[in-house]
Amino acid sequence: MTALAAALPNTRLVRAELLKLRKRRGLTLTVLLMTVGATVLTYAILAILHAANPAHHGPAGGVTNLSHVLWLLSALGAGAAVLAGSTAGAGDLSAGVFRELAVTGRSRTSLYLARIPGGLAFLLSGVAAAYALAAIASVAFADDGAAPSTGSLAAGGAWILLSTTTYFLLALGLSSLAGSRTVPLVILLAWRLALMPILISLTFLGAARDALPDTGIQELAPHAFASNLQIATLSVPTAVSVGVILLWVGAMLAVGAWRTATRDA
Amino acid sequence: MNATRTHPYVVEAEGLTKRFGHRVAVDRVDLRIPSGAAFGYLGPNGAGKTTLIRMLLGLTTATSGSMRLLGLPMPARRAEALARVGAIVEEPRSHPFLTGRENLEIVAAARERAAHKRIDGALARVGLTERADDRVKTYSLGMRQRLGVARALLGDPELLILDEPMNGLDPGGMEDTRLMIRGLVAEGRTVVLSSHLLDEVEKTCDAIAIVDRGRVVVQGSIEELTGGTETLLVSTGDDLRARALLHGHEVEVVEEGLRVHAIDAAKINRRLVEAGIDVHRLEPERISLERRFLELTTRLEAAA
Repeated sequence: MTALAAALPNTRLVRAELLKLRKRRGLTLTVLLMTVGATVLTYAILAILHAANPAHHGPAGGVTNLSHVLWLLSALGAGAAVLAGSTAGAGDLSAGVFRELAVTGRSRTSLYLARIPGGLAFLLSGVAAAYALAAIASVAFADDGAAPSTGSLAAGGAWILLSTTTYFLLALGLSSLAGSRTVPLVILLAWRLALMPILISLTFLGAARDALPDTGIQELAPHAFASNLQIATLSVPTAVSVGVILLWVGAMLAVGAWRTATRDA
Repeated sequence: MNATRTHPYVVEAEGLTKRFGHRVAVDRVDLRIPSGAAFGYLGPNGAGKTTLIRMLLGLTTATSGSMRLLGLPMPARRAEALARVGAIVEEPRSHPFLTGRENLEIVAAARERAAHKRIDGALARVGLTERADDRVKTYSLGMRQRLGVARALLGDPELLILDEPMNGLDPGGMEDTRLMIRGLVAEGRTVVLSSHLLDEVEKTCDAIAIVDRGRVVVQGSIEELTGGTETLLVSTGDDLRARALLHGHEVEVVEEGLRVHAIDAAKINRRLVEAGIDVHRLEPERISLERRFLELTTRLEAAA
Protein backbone atom coordinates (compact mmCIF):
# COMPACT_ATOMS: atom_id res chain seq x y z
CA MET A 1 0.00 0.00 0.00
CA THR A 2 1.39 3.40 -0.91
CA ALA A 3 1.78 6.09 1.74
CA LEU A 4 -0.94 8.12 0.05
CA ALA A 5 -3.42 5.24 0.05
CA ALA A 6 -2.68 4.55 3.71
CA ALA A 7 -3.35 8.19 4.56
CA LEU A 8 -6.77 8.28 2.92
CA PRO A 9 -9.67 7.50 5.25
CA ASN A 10 -12.12 4.75 4.35
CA THR A 11 -15.90 5.13 4.56
CA ARG A 12 -16.04 3.20 7.84
CA LEU A 13 -13.78 5.79 9.48
CA VAL A 14 -15.87 8.63 8.09
CA ARG A 15 -19.07 7.02 9.39
CA ALA A 16 -17.41 6.59 12.79
CA GLU A 17 -16.58 10.32 12.88
CA LEU A 18 -20.18 11.17 12.01
CA LEU A 19 -21.42 8.82 14.75
CA LYS A 20 -19.18 10.50 17.35
CA LEU A 21 -20.59 13.92 16.50
CA ARG A 22 -24.26 13.14 16.10
CA LYS A 23 -24.36 11.13 19.33
CA ARG A 24 -23.34 14.21 21.30
CA ARG A 25 -26.83 15.36 22.13
CA GLY A 26 -25.83 18.81 23.33
CA LEU A 27 -23.80 19.51 20.20
CA THR A 28 -26.49 18.21 17.85
CA LEU A 29 -29.17 20.23 19.57
CA THR A 30 -27.07 23.41 19.57
CA VAL A 31 -26.17 23.08 15.88
CA LEU A 32 -29.82 22.47 14.97
CA LEU A 33 -30.96 25.44 17.05
CA MET A 34 -28.32 27.72 15.50
CA THR A 35 -29.29 26.73 11.97
CA VAL A 36 -32.77 25.23 11.52
CA GLY A 37 -34.14 26.71 14.75
CA ALA A 38 -32.94 30.23 13.97
CA THR A 39 -34.36 30.08 10.43
CA VAL A 40 -37.75 28.76 11.52
CA LEU A 41 -37.95 31.33 14.30
CA THR A 42 -37.03 34.22 12.00
CA TYR A 43 -39.61 33.32 9.36
CA ALA A 44 -42.24 32.63 12.01
CA ILE A 45 -41.73 36.11 13.45
CA LEU A 46 -41.77 37.70 9.98
CA ALA A 47 -44.95 35.83 9.05
CA ILE A 48 -46.69 36.74 12.32
CA LEU A 49 -45.72 40.42 11.98
CA HIS A 50 -47.01 40.50 8.41
CA ALA A 51 -50.25 38.77 9.38
CA ALA A 52 -50.77 41.17 12.31
CA ASN A 53 -50.05 44.38 10.40
CA PRO A 54 -49.67 43.91 6.63
CA ALA A 55 -49.56 47.67 6.04
CA HIS A 56 -46.51 48.15 8.24
CA HIS A 57 -44.73 44.78 7.74
CA GLY A 58 -44.23 43.42 4.26
CA PRO A 59 -44.50 39.73 3.31
CA ALA A 60 -42.13 37.32 5.09
CA GLY A 61 -40.76 36.03 1.77
CA GLY A 62 -38.76 37.75 -0.94
CA VAL A 63 -35.15 38.63 -1.58
CA THR A 64 -34.69 41.19 1.18
CA ASN A 65 -35.80 38.93 4.02
CA LEU A 66 -33.83 36.02 2.56
CA SER A 67 -30.77 38.29 2.60
CA HIS A 68 -31.33 39.00 6.28
CA VAL A 69 -31.71 35.30 7.03
CA LEU A 70 -28.55 34.59 5.04
CA TRP A 71 -26.71 37.15 7.15
CA LEU A 72 -28.06 35.52 10.30
CA LEU A 73 -27.17 32.03 9.04
CA SER A 74 -23.67 33.13 8.10
CA ALA A 75 -23.06 34.36 11.65
CA LEU A 76 -24.83 31.56 13.54
CA GLY A 77 -23.67 28.96 11.02
CA ALA A 78 -20.07 30.05 11.60
CA GLY A 79 -20.66 29.61 15.34
CA ALA A 80 -22.10 26.14 14.76
CA ALA A 81 -19.20 25.34 12.43
CA VAL A 82 -16.63 26.38 15.04
CA LEU A 83 -18.41 24.27 17.64
CA ALA A 84 -18.56 21.21 15.38
CA GLY A 85 -15.04 21.72 14.04
CA SER A 86 -13.39 22.06 17.43
CA THR A 87 -15.29 19.00 18.70
CA ALA A 88 -14.29 16.95 15.66
CA GLY A 89 -10.67 18.10 16.00
CA ALA A 90 -10.16 17.53 19.71
CA GLY A 91 -12.99 15.19 20.78
CA ASP A 92 -10.91 11.99 20.63
CA LEU A 93 -7.95 13.64 22.34
CA SER A 94 -9.92 15.12 25.20
CA ALA A 95 -11.69 11.81 25.82
CA GLY A 96 -8.37 9.90 25.67
CA VAL A 97 -9.68 7.83 22.76
CA PHE A 98 -7.08 9.06 20.28
CA ARG A 99 -4.55 6.73 21.91
CA GLU A 100 -6.94 3.81 21.52
CA LEU A 101 -7.20 4.60 17.81
CA ALA A 102 -3.48 5.19 17.35
CA VAL A 103 -2.58 1.74 18.74
CA THR A 104 -4.56 0.08 15.98
CA GLY A 105 -1.72 1.00 13.62
CA ARG A 106 -4.05 3.02 11.40
CA SER A 107 -2.28 6.02 9.86
CA ARG A 108 -2.80 9.08 12.02
CA THR A 109 -3.21 11.18 8.90
CA SER A 110 -6.04 8.90 7.88
CA LEU A 111 -7.67 9.29 11.32
CA TYR A 112 -7.32 13.06 10.94
CA LEU A 113 -8.61 13.30 7.39
CA ALA A 114 -11.70 11.22 8.26
CA ARG A 115 -12.79 14.08 10.52
CA ILE A 116 -13.30 16.36 7.50
CA PRO A 117 -16.04 14.50 5.60
CA GLY A 118 -17.49 13.11 8.84
CA GLY A 119 -17.74 16.55 10.42
CA LEU A 120 -19.00 18.24 7.28
CA ALA A 121 -21.72 15.60 6.85
CA PHE A 122 -22.85 16.41 10.38
CA LEU A 123 -22.68 20.19 10.09
CA LEU A 124 -23.81 20.77 6.54
CA SER A 125 -26.92 18.64 6.91
CA GLY A 126 -28.15 21.18 9.48
CA VAL A 127 -27.01 24.19 7.47
CA ALA A 128 -28.46 22.82 4.23
CA ALA A 129 -31.79 22.02 5.91
CA ALA A 130 -31.93 25.53 7.37
CA TYR A 131 -31.18 27.15 4.02
CA ALA A 132 -33.68 24.90 2.24
CA LEU A 133 -36.36 26.04 4.69
CA ALA A 134 -35.32 29.66 4.15
CA ALA A 135 -35.42 29.26 0.37
CA ILE A 136 -38.87 27.66 0.49
CA ALA A 137 -40.18 30.35 2.83
CA SER A 138 -38.68 33.14 0.69
CA VAL A 139 -40.65 31.85 -2.28
CA ALA A 140 -43.81 30.72 -0.49
CA PHE A 141 -44.27 33.94 1.48
CA ALA A 142 -43.23 36.36 -1.32
CA ASP A 143 -45.49 38.75 -3.18
CA ASP A 144 -45.98 38.10 -6.87
CA GLY A 145 -42.72 38.79 -8.70
CA ALA A 146 -40.68 39.42 -5.52
CA ALA A 147 -39.49 35.81 -5.03
CA PRO A 148 -35.77 35.20 -5.53
CA SER A 149 -34.75 33.52 -8.77
CA THR A 150 -33.57 29.91 -8.85
CA GLY A 151 -30.08 31.11 -9.73
CA SER A 152 -29.85 33.47 -6.79
CA LEU A 153 -31.23 30.79 -4.45
CA ALA A 154 -28.55 28.36 -5.63
CA ALA A 155 -25.85 31.03 -5.26
CA GLY A 156 -27.06 31.86 -1.75
CA GLY A 157 -26.98 28.19 -0.79
CA ALA A 158 -23.49 27.69 -2.17
CA TRP A 159 -22.26 30.79 -0.33
CA ILE A 160 -23.64 29.74 3.05
CA LEU A 161 -22.12 26.28 2.62
CA LEU A 162 -18.77 27.88 1.73
CA SER A 163 -18.92 30.17 4.74
CA THR A 164 -19.72 27.40 7.26
CA THR A 165 -17.31 24.92 5.66
CA THR A 166 -14.48 27.46 5.91
CA TYR A 167 -15.09 28.01 9.61
CA PHE A 168 -15.47 24.28 10.25
CA LEU A 169 -12.10 23.57 8.62
CA LEU A 170 -10.37 26.43 10.44
CA ALA A 171 -11.72 25.14 13.76
CA LEU A 172 -10.79 21.54 12.94
CA GLY A 173 -7.19 22.44 12.14
CA LEU A 174 -6.78 24.77 15.11
CA SER A 175 -8.28 22.35 17.64
CA SER A 176 -6.17 19.47 16.30
CA LEU A 177 -3.13 21.70 16.69
CA ALA A 178 -4.05 22.86 20.19
CA GLY A 179 -5.39 19.48 21.35
CA SER A 180 -8.24 21.33 23.00
CA ARG A 181 -11.84 22.24 22.19
CA THR A 182 -12.18 25.32 24.34
CA VAL A 183 -9.24 27.46 23.21
CA PRO A 184 -10.02 27.33 19.44
CA LEU A 185 -13.70 27.79 20.23
CA VAL A 186 -13.07 31.02 22.12
CA ILE A 187 -10.48 32.30 19.63
CA LEU A 188 -12.56 31.66 16.53
CA LEU A 189 -15.85 32.89 17.96
CA ALA A 190 -14.16 36.07 19.16
CA TRP A 191 -12.54 36.39 15.75
CA ARG A 192 -15.73 35.86 13.77
CA LEU A 193 -18.14 37.81 15.93
CA ALA A 194 -16.01 40.65 17.28
CA LEU A 195 -12.54 41.07 15.84
CA MET A 196 -13.22 40.44 12.15
CA PRO A 197 -15.93 43.12 11.69
CA ILE A 198 -13.67 45.62 13.46
CA LEU A 199 -10.60 44.76 11.35
CA ILE A 200 -12.52 44.93 8.09
CA SER A 201 -13.93 48.32 8.98
CA LEU A 202 -10.50 49.81 9.80
CA THR A 203 -9.78 51.60 6.54
CA PHE A 204 -6.21 52.53 7.48
CA LEU A 205 -5.33 48.81 7.23
CA GLY A 206 -5.85 49.16 3.48
CA ALA A 207 -5.05 46.12 1.32
CA ALA A 208 -3.87 44.15 4.38
CA ARG A 209 -7.55 43.43 5.01
CA ASP A 210 -7.64 41.42 1.77
CA ALA A 211 -5.61 38.74 3.55
CA LEU A 212 -8.37 38.07 6.08
CA PRO A 213 -10.42 34.92 5.40
CA ASP A 214 -13.65 36.78 6.08
CA THR A 215 -12.85 39.35 3.43
CA GLY A 216 -12.73 36.50 0.93
CA ILE A 217 -15.99 35.01 2.19
CA GLN A 218 -17.78 38.35 2.06
CA GLU A 219 -16.46 39.21 -1.37
CA LEU A 220 -17.89 35.93 -2.68
CA ALA A 221 -21.42 36.70 -1.39
CA PRO A 222 -23.96 36.48 -4.22
CA HIS A 223 -24.74 39.84 -5.84
CA ALA A 224 -28.49 39.35 -5.41
CA PHE A 225 -28.07 39.48 -1.63
CA ALA A 226 -24.84 41.42 -1.10
CA SER A 227 -26.49 44.85 -0.75
CA ASN A 228 -28.68 43.54 2.08
CA LEU A 229 -26.08 41.41 3.84
CA GLN A 230 -24.89 44.19 6.17
CA ILE A 231 -21.27 43.49 5.33
CA ALA A 232 -18.49 45.74 4.18
CA THR A 233 -17.14 44.85 0.73
CA LEU A 234 -13.60 45.72 -0.35
CA SER A 235 -13.84 44.95 -4.07
CA VAL A 236 -11.26 42.17 -4.01
CA PRO A 237 -10.97 40.09 -7.22
CA THR A 238 -12.71 36.70 -6.98
CA ALA A 239 -9.50 34.78 -7.62
CA VAL A 240 -7.79 36.58 -4.74
CA SER A 241 -10.77 35.88 -2.44
CA VAL A 242 -10.71 32.18 -3.32
CA GLY A 243 -6.94 32.08 -2.93
CA VAL A 244 -7.05 33.73 0.51
CA ILE A 245 -9.68 31.27 1.77
CA LEU A 246 -7.76 28.28 0.40
CA LEU A 247 -4.53 29.54 1.93
CA TRP A 248 -6.04 29.97 5.40
CA VAL A 249 -7.87 26.65 5.33
CA GLY A 250 -4.91 24.81 3.80
CA ALA A 251 -2.46 26.20 6.34
CA MET A 252 -4.71 25.44 9.31
CA LEU A 253 -5.45 21.90 8.12
CA ALA A 254 -1.76 21.29 7.47
CA VAL A 255 -0.65 22.30 10.97
CA GLY A 256 -3.49 20.22 12.44
CA ALA A 257 -2.39 17.18 10.42
CA TRP A 258 1.24 17.68 11.37
CA ARG A 259 0.41 17.89 15.09
CA THR A 260 -1.87 14.86 14.92
CA ALA A 261 0.86 12.83 13.26
CA THR A 262 3.60 13.88 15.65
CA ARG A 263 1.97 14.28 19.05
CA ASP A 264 2.57 11.79 21.85
CA ALA A 265 -0.64 9.83 22.24
CA MET B 1 -6.82 -16.89 16.55
CA ASN B 2 -6.05 -16.57 12.86
CA ALA B 3 -2.47 -15.43 13.15
CA THR B 4 0.26 -18.04 13.24
CA ARG B 5 3.41 -17.56 15.22
CA THR B 6 6.47 -17.30 13.06
CA HIS B 7 8.97 -15.74 15.42
CA PRO B 8 10.28 -16.85 18.80
CA TYR B 9 10.10 -13.39 20.35
CA VAL B 10 7.13 -11.03 20.15
CA VAL B 11 9.15 -8.13 21.51
CA GLU B 12 12.85 -7.51 21.06
CA ALA B 13 14.36 -4.32 22.38
CA GLU B 14 18.00 -3.33 22.36
CA GLY B 15 19.39 -0.36 24.22
CA LEU B 16 15.98 1.25 24.27
CA THR B 17 16.16 4.63 25.96
CA LYS B 18 13.69 7.43 26.55
CA ARG B 19 14.66 10.75 28.08
CA PHE B 20 12.40 13.59 29.09
CA GLY B 21 14.86 16.45 29.32
CA HIS B 22 17.47 15.35 31.85
CA ARG B 23 15.26 12.64 33.32
CA VAL B 24 15.83 9.14 31.98
CA ALA B 25 12.53 7.24 32.04
CA VAL B 26 13.75 4.14 30.22
CA ASP B 27 17.45 3.40 30.40
CA ARG B 28 19.12 1.17 27.79
CA VAL B 29 16.59 -1.61 28.09
CA ASP B 30 17.40 -4.94 26.48
CA LEU B 31 14.34 -7.12 26.48
CA ARG B 32 13.18 -10.29 24.77
CA ILE B 33 9.66 -11.47 25.33
CA PRO B 34 9.02 -15.06 24.23
CA SER B 35 5.90 -15.79 22.22
CA GLY B 36 3.02 -17.91 23.50
CA ALA B 37 3.39 -16.97 27.16
CA ALA B 38 2.06 -14.55 29.74
CA PHE B 39 4.92 -12.16 30.41
CA GLY B 40 4.96 -9.79 33.36
CA TYR B 41 6.78 -6.48 33.20
CA LEU B 42 7.10 -5.79 36.84
CA GLY B 43 8.24 -2.70 38.64
CA PRO B 44 7.31 -0.06 41.17
CA ASN B 45 5.29 2.97 40.16
CA GLY B 46 7.42 5.36 38.12
CA ALA B 47 9.86 2.66 37.03
CA GLY B 48 9.23 3.37 33.34
CA LYS B 49 6.84 0.50 32.53
CA THR B 50 4.25 2.58 30.73
CA THR B 51 6.86 4.61 28.86
CA LEU B 52 8.37 1.41 27.49
CA ILE B 53 4.94 0.20 26.39
CA ARG B 54 4.20 3.55 24.76
CA MET B 55 7.43 3.31 22.79
CA LEU B 56 6.69 -0.24 21.69
CA LEU B 57 3.28 0.84 20.44
CA GLY B 58 4.59 3.89 18.60
CA LEU B 59 2.74 6.29 20.88
CA THR B 60 5.95 8.10 21.70
CA THR B 61 9.34 8.04 20.05
CA ALA B 62 12.42 6.43 21.56
CA THR B 63 15.41 8.65 22.25
CA SER B 64 17.73 5.84 21.17
CA GLY B 65 17.85 2.10 20.73
CA SER B 66 15.97 -0.29 18.50
CA MET B 67 12.92 -2.48 18.84
CA ARG B 68 11.00 -5.12 16.95
CA LEU B 69 7.40 -6.07 17.47
CA LEU B 70 6.31 -9.49 16.18
CA GLY B 71 9.58 -9.58 14.27
CA LEU B 72 8.89 -6.27 12.53
CA PRO B 73 11.10 -3.21 13.09
CA MET B 74 9.37 -0.35 14.88
CA PRO B 75 8.42 2.30 14.04
CA ALA B 76 9.32 1.57 10.39
CA ARG B 77 6.63 -1.13 10.01
CA ARG B 78 4.31 0.17 12.68
CA ALA B 79 1.05 -0.30 10.78
CA GLU B 80 1.75 -3.95 9.93
CA ALA B 81 2.90 -4.82 13.43
CA LEU B 82 0.12 -3.03 15.30
CA ALA B 83 -2.56 -4.62 13.12
CA ARG B 84 -1.72 -7.86 15.00
CA VAL B 85 -1.47 -6.26 18.44
CA GLY B 86 -4.17 -5.37 20.94
CA ALA B 87 -3.29 -3.01 23.75
CA ILE B 88 -4.53 -1.18 26.78
CA VAL B 89 -2.25 1.66 27.82
CA GLU B 90 -2.86 3.11 31.27
CA GLU B 91 -6.59 3.10 31.91
CA PRO B 92 -8.77 2.26 28.90
CA ARG B 93 -10.64 5.34 27.69
CA SER B 94 -13.94 5.53 25.85
CA HIS B 95 -16.41 8.15 24.73
CA PRO B 96 -18.82 8.29 27.68
CA PHE B 97 -21.77 9.46 25.58
CA LEU B 98 -21.55 6.41 23.29
CA THR B 99 -22.63 2.89 24.17
CA GLY B 100 -20.10 0.14 24.70
CA ARG B 101 -20.95 -1.31 21.30
CA GLU B 102 -20.59 2.07 19.55
CA ASN B 103 -17.19 2.58 21.17
CA LEU B 104 -16.10 -0.75 19.75
CA GLU B 105 -17.52 0.16 16.33
CA ILE B 106 -15.33 3.26 16.29
CA VAL B 107 -12.16 1.28 16.93
CA ALA B 108 -13.26 -1.51 14.57
CA ALA B 109 -13.53 1.14 11.83
CA ALA B 110 -9.83 1.84 12.29
CA ARG B 111 -8.96 -1.84 11.98
CA GLU B 112 -9.48 -4.27 9.12
CA ARG B 113 -13.03 -4.93 7.88
CA ALA B 114 -13.29 -8.26 9.75
CA ALA B 115 -12.92 -6.44 13.08
CA HIS B 116 -16.54 -5.31 12.90
CA LYS B 117 -17.72 -8.92 12.90
CA ARG B 118 -15.76 -9.61 16.09
CA ILE B 119 -17.63 -7.04 18.16
CA ASP B 120 -20.32 -9.38 19.48
CA GLY B 121 -17.78 -12.08 20.28
CA ALA B 122 -15.51 -9.65 22.09
CA LEU B 123 -18.41 -8.27 24.14
CA ALA B 124 -19.48 -11.81 25.05
CA ARG B 125 -15.97 -12.78 26.00
CA VAL B 126 -15.68 -9.99 28.57
CA GLY B 127 -19.26 -10.46 29.81
CA LEU B 128 -20.65 -7.17 28.54
CA THR B 129 -23.29 -8.41 26.09
CA GLU B 130 -26.19 -7.38 28.30
CA ARG B 131 -24.83 -3.86 28.86
CA ALA B 132 -23.45 -3.39 25.34
CA ASP B 133 -26.15 -0.90 24.37
CA ASP B 134 -25.89 1.22 27.51
CA ARG B 135 -23.86 4.40 27.50
CA VAL B 136 -20.35 3.97 28.85
CA LYS B 137 -20.87 6.77 31.37
CA THR B 138 -23.14 4.35 33.28
CA TYR B 139 -20.40 1.67 33.45
CA SER B 140 -18.40 0.84 36.57
CA LEU B 141 -14.60 0.97 36.51
CA GLY B 142 -14.44 -2.81 36.13
CA MET B 143 -16.82 -2.72 33.18
CA ARG B 144 -14.75 -0.01 31.52
CA GLN B 145 -11.66 -2.17 31.98
CA ARG B 146 -13.49 -5.09 30.38
CA LEU B 147 -14.62 -2.89 27.50
CA GLY B 148 -10.95 -1.97 27.01
CA VAL B 149 -10.06 -5.66 26.81
CA ALA B 150 -12.89 -6.25 24.31
CA ARG B 151 -11.49 -3.40 22.23
CA ALA B 152 -8.01 -4.91 22.36
CA LEU B 153 -9.43 -8.22 21.07
CA LEU B 154 -11.08 -6.70 17.99
CA GLY B 155 -7.99 -7.21 15.85
CA ASP B 156 -7.75 -10.94 16.75
CA PRO B 157 -4.32 -10.07 18.14
CA GLU B 158 -1.30 -12.32 18.25
CA LEU B 159 0.06 -10.12 21.04
CA LEU B 160 -1.86 -8.35 23.79
CA ILE B 161 -0.18 -5.63 25.81
CA LEU B 162 -2.06 -4.80 28.99
CA ASP B 163 -0.79 -1.95 31.13
CA GLU B 164 -1.80 -2.42 34.77
CA PRO B 165 -4.98 -4.36 33.88
CA MET B 166 -5.75 -5.15 37.53
CA ASN B 167 -5.79 -1.52 38.65
CA GLY B 168 -8.93 -0.63 40.50
CA LEU B 169 -10.42 -4.12 40.26
CA ASP B 170 -11.94 -5.93 43.23
CA PRO B 171 -10.67 -9.45 44.05
CA GLY B 172 -13.38 -11.01 41.88
CA GLY B 173 -12.44 -8.77 38.97
CA MET B 174 -8.76 -9.66 39.41
CA GLU B 175 -9.58 -13.36 39.38
CA ASP B 176 -11.65 -12.91 36.20
CA THR B 177 -8.83 -10.99 34.54
CA ARG B 178 -6.30 -13.64 35.54
CA LEU B 179 -8.46 -16.41 34.09
CA MET B 180 -9.04 -14.42 30.94
CA ILE B 181 -5.30 -13.87 30.47
CA ARG B 182 -4.59 -17.56 30.93
CA GLY B 183 -7.37 -18.32 28.46
CA LEU B 184 -5.82 -16.00 25.89
CA VAL B 185 -2.43 -17.65 26.36
CA ALA B 186 -4.05 -21.08 25.99
CA GLU B 187 -5.29 -19.93 22.57
CA GLY B 188 -1.70 -19.34 21.50
CA ARG B 189 -1.59 -15.60 22.04
CA THR B 190 1.13 -13.80 23.96
CA VAL B 191 0.06 -11.50 26.76
CA VAL B 192 2.43 -8.87 28.10
CA LEU B 193 1.25 -7.52 31.37
CA SER B 194 2.78 -4.58 33.17
CA SER B 195 2.05 -4.34 36.85
CA HIS B 196 3.30 -3.40 40.26
CA LEU B 197 1.11 -6.11 41.85
CA LEU B 198 3.68 -8.82 42.55
CA ASP B 199 1.26 -11.43 43.74
CA GLU B 200 -0.97 -11.11 40.69
CA VAL B 201 1.98 -11.30 38.32
CA GLU B 202 3.31 -14.39 40.08
CA LYS B 203 -0.09 -16.06 39.79
CA THR B 204 -0.68 -15.05 36.18
CA CYS B 205 2.62 -15.00 34.32
CA ASP B 206 5.05 -17.59 33.02
CA ALA B 207 8.00 -15.23 32.76
CA ILE B 208 8.83 -11.77 33.97
CA ALA B 209 11.23 -8.89 33.76
CA ILE B 210 11.78 -6.76 36.83
CA VAL B 211 12.36 -3.12 36.06
CA ASP B 212 13.57 -0.42 38.39
CA ARG B 213 14.41 3.20 37.64
CA GLY B 214 14.05 2.61 33.94
CA ARG B 215 16.36 -0.40 33.78
CA VAL B 216 15.58 -4.10 33.48
CA VAL B 217 17.37 -5.62 36.45
CA VAL B 218 16.50 -9.25 35.82
CA GLN B 219 14.39 -11.32 33.47
CA GLY B 220 13.53 -14.97 33.25
CA SER B 221 10.84 -17.52 33.97
CA ILE B 222 8.96 -17.34 37.26
CA GLU B 223 10.48 -20.76 38.00
CA GLU B 224 14.01 -19.45 37.57
CA LEU B 225 13.44 -16.30 39.55
CA THR B 226 11.60 -17.80 42.47
CA GLY B 227 13.68 -20.98 42.62
CA GLY B 228 17.41 -21.15 42.43
CA THR B 229 18.12 -20.93 46.17
CA GLU B 230 20.72 -23.22 47.68
CA THR B 231 18.63 -24.19 50.66
CA LEU B 232 16.27 -27.03 51.49
CA LEU B 233 13.30 -26.94 53.80
CA VAL B 234 13.22 -30.09 55.91
CA SER B 235 10.61 -31.28 58.36
CA THR B 236 11.20 -34.53 60.26
CA GLY B 237 9.86 -36.59 63.13
CA ASP B 238 12.79 -35.40 65.25
CA ASP B 239 14.18 -32.04 64.15
CA LEU B 240 16.58 -31.88 67.09
CA ARG B 241 18.35 -35.11 66.06
CA ALA B 242 18.19 -34.18 62.42
CA ARG B 243 19.90 -30.86 63.15
CA ALA B 244 22.66 -32.65 65.03
CA LEU B 245 23.05 -35.19 62.25
CA LEU B 246 23.39 -32.51 59.60
CA HIS B 247 26.05 -30.60 61.55
CA GLY B 248 28.29 -30.43 58.49
CA HIS B 249 25.78 -28.09 56.84
CA GLU B 250 24.56 -24.72 57.91
CA VAL B 251 21.19 -25.43 59.54
CA GLU B 252 18.64 -22.94 60.86
CA VAL B 253 15.47 -23.61 62.79
CA VAL B 254 12.53 -22.02 61.00
CA GLU B 255 8.76 -22.18 61.35
CA GLU B 256 8.47 -24.98 58.79
CA GLY B 257 11.22 -27.09 60.49
CA LEU B 258 14.82 -26.75 59.39
CA ARG B 259 16.43 -24.71 56.67
CA VAL B 260 19.47 -26.61 55.45
CA HIS B 261 22.04 -24.96 53.22
CA ALA B 262 22.55 -27.77 50.73
CA ILE B 263 21.61 -28.56 47.14
CA ASP B 264 21.60 -32.37 47.10
CA ALA B 265 18.20 -33.24 48.54
CA ALA B 266 18.58 -36.99 47.86
CA LYS B 267 21.78 -37.16 49.89
CA ILE B 268 20.23 -35.34 52.83
CA ASN B 269 17.18 -37.58 52.67
CA ARG B 270 19.29 -40.74 52.65
CA ARG B 271 21.29 -39.62 55.69
CA LEU B 272 18.16 -38.87 57.67
CA VAL B 273 16.36 -42.09 56.71
CA GLU B 274 19.45 -44.23 57.37
CA ALA B 275 19.61 -42.64 60.83
CA GLY B 276 16.01 -43.73 61.43
CA ILE B 277 14.54 -40.23 61.28
CA ASP B 278 11.16 -39.93 59.58
CA VAL B 279 11.20 -37.29 56.83
CA HIS B 280 7.84 -35.55 56.47
CA ARG B 281 8.94 -32.84 54.10
CA LEU B 282 12.03 -32.14 52.05
CA GLU B 283 11.98 -29.61 49.25
CA PRO B 284 14.12 -26.91 47.72
CA GLU B 285 13.19 -23.63 49.29
CA ARG B 286 11.40 -21.27 46.91
CA ILE B 287 11.79 -17.57 47.22
CA SER B 288 8.64 -15.52 46.76
CA LEU B 289 8.58 -13.08 43.91
CA GLU B 290 8.02 -10.34 46.44
CA ARG B 291 11.20 -11.26 48.31
CA ARG B 292 13.13 -11.52 45.05
CA PHE B 293 11.77 -8.17 43.90
CA LEU B 294 12.62 -6.46 47.16
CA GLU B 295 16.09 -8.00 47.19
CA LEU B 296 16.81 -6.66 43.72
CA THR B 297 15.32 -3.23 44.14
CA THR B 298 16.84 -2.78 47.62
CA ARG B 299 20.24 -3.78 46.30
CA LEU B 300 19.92 -1.17 43.59
CA GLU B 301 18.81 1.44 46.07
CA ALA B 302 21.84 0.71 48.25
CA ALA B 303 24.14 0.90 45.23
CA ALA B 304 22.69 4.23 44.10
